[in-house]
Amino acid sequence: MRASEPESLRPEEGDQYLDGLLARAARGDQAAFEAVYDTLAGPVYGLILRVVRDPAQSEEVSQEVLLEVWRTAARFDPAKGTAATWVLTIAHRRAVDRVRSAAAATAREQRTAEVPVPHDVAAIVEASLDAQRVRECLEGLTEAQRESIALAYYGGFSYRQVGERLGTALSTIKTRIRDGLIRMRDCLGVS
Amino acid sequence: MALLRNDQHTLTGVYALDALDTAAEVARFERHLNRCDSCTGEVRGFRETATRLAMAVAQPPPASLRAAVMADVARTRQVPATEDRARHARRMARPTLLPRLAMAGAALGLAAAIVLAVVLVNTNKQLNQTQQQLGQTQQELSQAKRQLILTQTQLAAINAVRTAADATLVTKATKIGGRVTLVKSAAKRQLVVTTSGLPPLKAGKVYQLWLIGAPGHKIRSEGLLATPRGGRTGPVLISGVLAGDTLGVSVQQAGGSIQPTLPAVIVLIPAA
Repeated sequence: MRASEPESLRPEEGDQYLDGLLARAARGDQAAFEAVYDTLAGPVYGLILRVVRDPAQSEEVSQEVLLEVWRTAARFDPAKGTAATWVLTIAHRRAVDRVRSAAAATAREQRTAEVPVPHDVAAIVEASLDAQRVRECLEGLTEAQRESIALAYYGGFSYRQVGERLGTALSTIKTRIRDGLIRMRDCLGVS
Repeated sequence: MALLRNDQHTLTGVYALDALDTAAEVARFERHLNRCDSCTGEVRGFRETATRLAMAVAQPPPASLRAAVMADVARTRQVPATEDRARHARRMARPTLLPRLAMAGAALGLAAAIVLAVVLVNTNKQLNQTQQQLGQTQQELSQAKRQLILTQTQLAAINAVRTAADATLVTKATKIGGRVTLVKSAAKRQLVVTTSGLPPLKAGKVYQLWLIGAPGHKIRSEGLLATPRGGRTGPVLISGVLAGDTLGVSVQQAGGSIQPTLPAVIVLIPAA
């Protein structure tokens, strides 16, 4: 009757382990939350910095995001996705909110001179072993797909803004992003 | 309309990257998402993919961040999980009120005294009927109230398992796709079952839950899974779980069965 073993909470199984930590944090376990912080603060800060481009503001947004994770941890539903994705979705949304307001966008455009607009994904993605696979998969996309995904995700631009920047029709951007993500997903073996 | 829906469907990628332009666009797409299981699955996959993109740009945060966050955490209260299922109590029946009095009045002008008598009797009958209907409605109302209290009690029990100090979470993919997730509390001898992404079944088939005892012990039906909303079902509370029990999910004929048929079992998970 018990042909296959279910996954359980073992530290080496990253996703399950993190899901379990977040569930404990949801019950007020601050030590569990510290472990969540240690695992995800790097990706949260790195992603926000990539979008917001200002270290001081990025730290501020990261602090808001991580507090939000603590406050609403009980709303995390493992049936909907992994804990990492839940946290990084909050982080990305907050970063995007920060740069989409008109004034913020103008200020950020001025910083663009200092920090290049993220067209060149290979240059963005760190040379870590973890990122190796992501880089390989990104290289499997068409140039147009890579550029659209990078501007939308790392740049925090709306697809209309992406279309304007690239001088491409909205419907094309929409399918490019979707086709690129399908290819990325399959290449990374995301289920 | 099909064209419009198609159009919405291709927005999965843009939505998953938070790249829609306006809140109105987001709201429209989320309405579509509620009705589109394949879109929900696609968005989920894209979000997991985006997570890998985020992991790839991880940067060590400033040391000051950790202290600031932990100080916030120490003084910030957490919100409880939201449960909006209690709202779905049974709808009340509507009474039909004194319908034909006006018509009876019209008949009065034309008819003789004998007709008047008939009409009065009729009207009286209708009044009686209406009173009966009112009585029925009140009964249904109090039934609905009882149901609501039951649902609230159940939700409280479910939350108690989820927040139990010894709660553990196990999730497992089924043979036919989708996942079944258990939150178990050995101390309470209870578990909570949720599912996601189980494939829709043909008409006449249902998913049924089973608690299967250690070899030589009983198999107990724990009821049928509700029709999924947004690809998910549950939470379902199961009590009286003993050491050695296994939770099974099977595909059965509508109405369920008394014993699971073995080939129909799609997943087995230790329940204790």
